[in-house]
Amino acid sequence: MTDQDFVLLKDRNIETDTNYASMPYWRGVFKRFFAKKRSVVGLVIVAAILVLALLGPVLSGYTYREITSVVDEETGKEVVARGISPRIPWLHKLLGKEDYTDRFADKTFLFGTDDLGRDLWTRTWYGARVSLLIAFVTIIIDVIIGMTFGLTSGYFGGAVDGTMQRFVEVANSVPRLVIVSVLAIFMPKGIGLVIVALLLTEWIGMSKIARAEMLKIKELEYIFASRTLGAGNFGIIFNDVLPNTVGPIITQVMFSIPTAIFTEAFLSFVGVGIMLPQCSVGSLIEDGFNNITTLPYQIVPPIIVLALLMLGFNFIGDGLREALAPKLEDM
Amino acid sequence: MQKYIFKRVITALITLLVITFLLFWLVRIMPGNPFPSERMTDEAIAAKRAEMGLDDPILTQFVRYMKKVLKGDFGKGTSLFNGAPIHTVLNKAIANSFKIGGIAILLGTFVGLVLGIIAALNRDRFWDVFCSVFSILGVCVPSYVFLIFLQYTFAYKTTLLPYFFDSSQFLKSSIIPSLSLSLFTMSTIARFTRNEMIEVMDSDYVLLAEAKGMYGYKLITRHVLRNALIPIVTVLAPLIVDLLTGALVVEKIYGIQGIGKLMVDAISGEGIDYNYVLALGILYSSLYIGIMLVVDLLYGVLDPRIRISAKGGDQ
Amino acid sequence: MTKKLLAILVALVMVLAACGTAAPANSGNDEGAKPAETAAAEKSIGVMLSTNVMSLDCNLATDGDSFEVIADCIDGLTQMDADGAAIPALAESWEISEDGLTWTFHLRDAKWANGDPVTANDFVFAWKTAVATNVEYGYMFDSSVACVKNADEIMYEGADPDTLGVSAADDKTLVVELIAPVSFFDSLMYFPTFYPLNEKFYTECGDTYGTSPETFLSNGAYILSDYTPGAASFTVTKNLDYWNADQVSIDSIKYQVVGSSDNALTAFKSGTLDLVVISGSQVPAAQEDENLASKIKVTGAGYMWYLSFSQTEANANGGQLANTNLRLAFTNAIDRESLVENYVMDGSLPTYTCVPPQFAASATTGEDFSGDQDKFKDVCSFDTAKALEYFEAAKAELGVDTFEFTMIYGNNEGDEVQKVAQAIKEQIEGALPGVTLNLQAMSKAERLDKMQNDNYDVALTRWGPDYADPMTYLGMWITDNANNYGFWSNADYDQLIKDCTTGAYINDYEARWNALYEAETIAMNEAVIAPLYTKASANLISDKLQGVEFHPVALNRVYKSATVSD
Repeated sequence: MTDQDFVLLKDRNIETDTNYASMPYWRGVFKRFFAKKRSVVGLVIVAAILVLALLGPVLSGYTYREITSVVDEETGKEVVARGISPRIPWLHKLLGKEDYTDRFADKTFLFGTDDLGRDLWTRTWYGARVSLLIAFVTIIIDVIIGMTFGLTSGYFGGAVDGTMQRFVEVANSVPRLVIVSVLAIFMPKGIGLVIVALLLTEWIGMSKIARAEMLKIKELEYIFASRTLGAGNFGIIFNDVLPNTVGPIITQVMFSIPTAIFTEAFLSFVGVGIMLPQCSVGSLIEDGFNNITTLPYQIVPPIIVLALLMLGFNFIGDGLREALAPKLEDM
Repeated sequence: MQKYIFKRVITALITLLVITFLLFWLVRIMPGNPFPSERMTDEAIAAKRAEMGLDDPILTQFVRYMKKVLKGDFGKGTSLFNGAPIHTVLNKAIANSFKIGGIAILLGTFVGLVLGIIAALNRDRFWDVFCSVFSILGVCVPSYVFLIFLQYTFAYKTTLLPYFFDSSQFLKSSIIPSLSLSLFTMSTIARFTRNEMIEVMDSDYVLLAEAKGMYGYKLITRHVLRNALIPIVTVLAPLIVDLLTGALVVEKIYGIQGIGKLMVDAISGEGIDYNYVLALGILYSSLYIGIMLVVDLLYGVLDPRIRISAKGGDQ
Repeated sequence: MTKKLLAILVALVMVLAACGTAAPANSGNDEGAKPAETAAAEKSIGVMLSTNVMSLDCNLATDGDSFEVIADCIDGLTQMDADGAAIPALAESWEISEDGLTWTFHLRDAKWANGDPVTANDFVFAWKTAVATNVEYGYMFDSSVACVKNADEIMYEGADPDTLGVSAADDKTLVVELIAPVSFFDSLMYFPTFYPLNEKFYTECGDTYGTSPETFLSNGAYILSDYTPGAASFTVTKNLDYWNADQVSIDSIKYQVVGSSDNALTAFKSGTLDLVVISGSQVPAAQEDENLASKIKVTGAGYMWYLSFSQTEANANGGQLANTNLRLAFTNAIDRESLVENYVMDGSLPTYTCVPPQFAASATTGEDFSGDQDKFKDVCSFDTAKALEYFEAAKAELGVDTFEFTMIYGNNEGDEVQKVAQAIKEQIEGALPGVTLNLQAMSKAERLDKMQNDNYDVALTRWGPDYADPMTYLGMWITDNANNYGFWSNADYDQLIKDCTTGAYINDYEARWNALYEAETIAMNEAVIAPLYTKASANLISDKLQGVEFHPVALNRVYKSATVSD
C-alpha cells in the first residue's frame, strides 16, 4: 500500500452524500411534487385556466357586458344576438357546411351567446376570474383562521375546548341566509360582502378538521417527546402538529373551492353578491339552468370550467400532500 | 361517562338558548319591514306593529316569545300564510324534508363509503380514478342540475316516475329528489373516506399489524376503518343538517313543500316573516346542536383516546 | 290515430298503476270498480301557479294566485263575463237609486257548503270585518275607490264599524250606501275583498280560517279538497250544490306551483299540466315547435312595469332626479320595443303612457283609455337624439357632466326582470354618455321597503290595476299618497284628481274622463315615471282544455265555463 492509494478527503468527489444531507426541505418537496405525472397535469390545467381567465376576455373582441345587436333595416327594430349556439364561421366553411343565414352569420361565438346576446366565451372567462379571486382570498383567510382556532381548541382541550366549541356551535347554528341578510345592512353589496360572508361561515369546517386532527395527533408519542424536551404549547401546535395536518386540510381546501363558488352564486342570487352585469362561474351556471332544456349549451362551459378547476386543484392537492409528508420509501 | 353526557346536554341547551336570543335579535334588525305592502297606509302599519308588540324592549319581547315557544306554540306568521299556526305548516315541511333528506343521507353515506373504500384499496388504479372523477363531478354539478336530468329522463322521456312530487305516492316520487340530493354527500364522503383510509393505511400501526400477519377484511375493519371514520363523522354531521333542512332549489323545482322552500318564502317572499324565520332558525339550530352532541358522544365510542381526554377535561 | 290509442292505453296503465300504489293507503275505497269509472268520467286538469297561495281568506289575500283560487270556491255579488263585464252571481239583480248613491242587491237562493243559506248578513259581516280590521285591501272601500259610506271614518278615524254604509234589509236584500256615485261599483263586486263570509263558521275557525279544507267554506263552483298553507300542489273539486253547478263542467283542478319557465315547458310537454305560463327563451322555443305553436295563447296580465325616480334631496346625489329634463332624457333613451321583443318575449306591450292599455275602457264610448300609445309621442318615445337634447339641458341646469345612480329591482319577480334591468342599463348608458346606472338586486320585500322609506335613486317596479278605471294608476301620484314613491308633487294634478274622485266631475262621466286624460298629460310631460311595458302572459293550453277566461284585472283566470274534451 503506497501513498497513491490514499487520497485526501477534500479532493474526492462525495457529491451524493453532501447533496443529500444538505438538500433543503422545500427543494425536496418540489422534486417529489414534479415526479408525479398527476400533479403536473393538475398544474397545467389550473395554469391554463388562469391564463384563459386573464386573456380570454381580451382575445374575443367582445366585453363581458357587450350586447351584440343589429338594427333591422326594414322595420327599424333592434335585433339582439340572443340564444345563439356556438359558431365559428371559418371552421364551418372549412368543413363544407352551409353558411349561417341569420343576421349574425359572420360573427364568431366560441361558446355561443346568452339570453341577452352577450358572448359566452368572454363571460365564462370573466366569470372564472371573479370566482377564482373570491375563492382564493376567502380560502387563504379561512385556512389561517380555521387552523389556528381548531388546533388551539383541540390542543388545550377541557374548558378551553368547551368554550371554543360552544362558540363554533353558536356561529354555525345561525342559518347562513340570516347572517348574510344582516350583514347586508352594514356593508355595501358586492364582492367585498361575498368575501366577508364566506369568511364568516367557511372557516368553521376548516377548524373542525384541524381540531379532529389535533385530537388524533396530540396523543402520539412524538408530541410527548417534544414536550419532555421542553417545547412550549406554541411550538408544539405550530411546529409539531401543524405540518402533520396538511393532508386533510388540503383535501378540505380543494372541496372548499366549489363551496365558495356556489355560495357566491347563491349570494348573488339572493342579491348581496356581485352586481349584474358582472358574472361569476356560479352565476353563469344559474343562468344556464334557467334554459337548461331549451338552450342546453349555455350551462356546459361554466360547469366544465368548474369541473376542470376542481380536477386540477385535486391533482395538485394530492401531489402536494404526498410531497409535503413523504413516506420513507419515497425519499 | 354519564356525568360527561349530562354536562354536554346541559351546555347544549344553554347554547341553544343563546342562539335563540341571538336569532331573535338578528331577525329584528333585518332589512325589510314585516308588512311591506304597497296598499297599506303608514298608520295601519304602525297600528299592526303596536298590536304585535314589536315596539317593546327586545328582552320583554324575547321572554314573551320563549314562554310561548316552550309550550310548543310558535305563534302565527306576520305576513306569510296569515292565520295558520306555524307549527302545523312546519310539521308538514319537516315531514317532507326529513324523509327525502333522510333517504339521501343513507344512500349518499352508504354508496360514498363503499366507493371510498374501493378506491383506497385500488390506489392509483381504475377504481381510484373513477372515484376521483365521480366525486369531482358530484361536487361541481349542482344537485338541481342532476334533478333536471333525472326529471327529464325518467319523468318526461319515459314516464316511469312522477314529474312532480306527489305525497300520495311518496316512495315513487321521492326517488328523483333523494337521488339528486345524495350525489353531493356521496362524492364528499367517497373522497374523504379514500383520503383518510390511505392516510391510515400508511401509518405505522397498520404497518405493524400487517407485519404481524394481519390482512384483508379484518385489518380493514378493525384497524383502518375505525380510525379513518372519525374525521368522516365530522364531515357528515353538517351534511346531515343541510340535507334535513331542505334543499331550496330542488324543492322548488320538484314541487316539494319542504323546509328550504319555507325558509326562502319567509325571508324573501312578500315580506320578511319574523316568526317563520325565527321558528326555522330555532329548528335549524336545535338540529345542528343535537347532531353535534351525538357526534361528540360518538367520538368517544369510536376513539377511546378521546373518551379519556374528555374525562380528563371533566375533572 | 294509433298515437292517440297508444296515449289512451298509456294513460289507462298509468291510472291503474297509480291506483295500485295508492290502494293500500286508502283501502276504504271501492278499489275494483273505481279505476275504470273515474278514467271515463273524471274531467280533471292540471294548472300551473307561479307562486304559493298566500291566503285563502278573502279579506287578507293580496295576490293574483290567491284571488284565483278564492274565486274558484266563493262567489261574490257579481262575476266576470268573458269580456270582464259584471254579470249576476249571488245577486240575481240590483237597482241603483236616482242619485247613484244607493245600490240594492237581491240575492238568489245559494248555499254554503255546510248547508247554510247565503244571506245578506254574510256580506254585511264580511265587509264590516274588513273595514274594522283595516286589511290591506281595505282602501277598496274608502273614498278613493268604492266610496262606501263611513268607510274612511272607520278606517282612519276609529269610528264604530257598525256605522258602515251596508245593511241587510232582509235575508235576501243587501243595501249599500255610497258617499259619491261610483259608476263601476258593480264590477268592483267581483273583487274578492267584497266577497261574503259565513259569520258563524268564520268566528268558530278564528285565526285558522282558510288554512285547511276543514276550515274553509265554499259557496262557489269548487270545494277545497286538500290543502295546507304553502302547499306546492293542491286540488279543488266541483261543488255539486253550487247554484250554477250545471254550467260547471270540469270536475277537479289540480294546482301545481312551478318555479321556472323551463320546467313549466317540460311539464306541459310531458302532459302533467294542461295550462302553464312561460316566459323568456321558452317562448320562442315553443313558437318554433310545431306541436306547441298552436297551443300558445297570449293574454294580458294587467300590470305595468315602470321606472320610478326618487325626486327628493335625500337620494340621487342630492336630488338630481328632481330635474325634469333628466327624467325625460331617461324615458326617451329606452328602447321599449327592443326590451319586449328581445328580452321579455311573452307578448308584453311596449307602453308609452302612465296608464297602461287594455284594462280601462270608457263606459260611454267603449274606447280604451290608453288605446292610442302615440298620444304622448313628444315626451315619451325611443329617440336618442331627443334624449340627448334633454340630457344636455339637464346637464346645463344641474351644472354637472357625469351622473351615477343605482337602480334597484327585485330578483324574485320573474326571470325577465333581471334581463330587462341589464338591458336598460346598456340602453341608457349607451344613449346618454356620462351616465352610470348601477344595478342592485334584492328581494321584492326589500325593494318595497326601500321605496317606502325613500331610500333609492331609480327603481324597476310594477303596479297592477285593482279595478277597471284609470284612477287605479293616476290616483298614485297625488301629493302625499303612500304609493307616490317619487315624492313628485304638482298642485294642478292634485286638483284634477280631487275633482274626479270627490269634486266637480263625479256626476259627469265625460268630463271626468277628459280630466283624467289631462292629469295623465301633466304626469307624462314631467316624466313622473318612465312607463316600460304592460305585462302579458304567454300561456300554453292543452288541446283538451277549452274556454278558460283570462282577464287582466282582478281575477286572471276563471274556469267556471271551461270544458274538457275527451
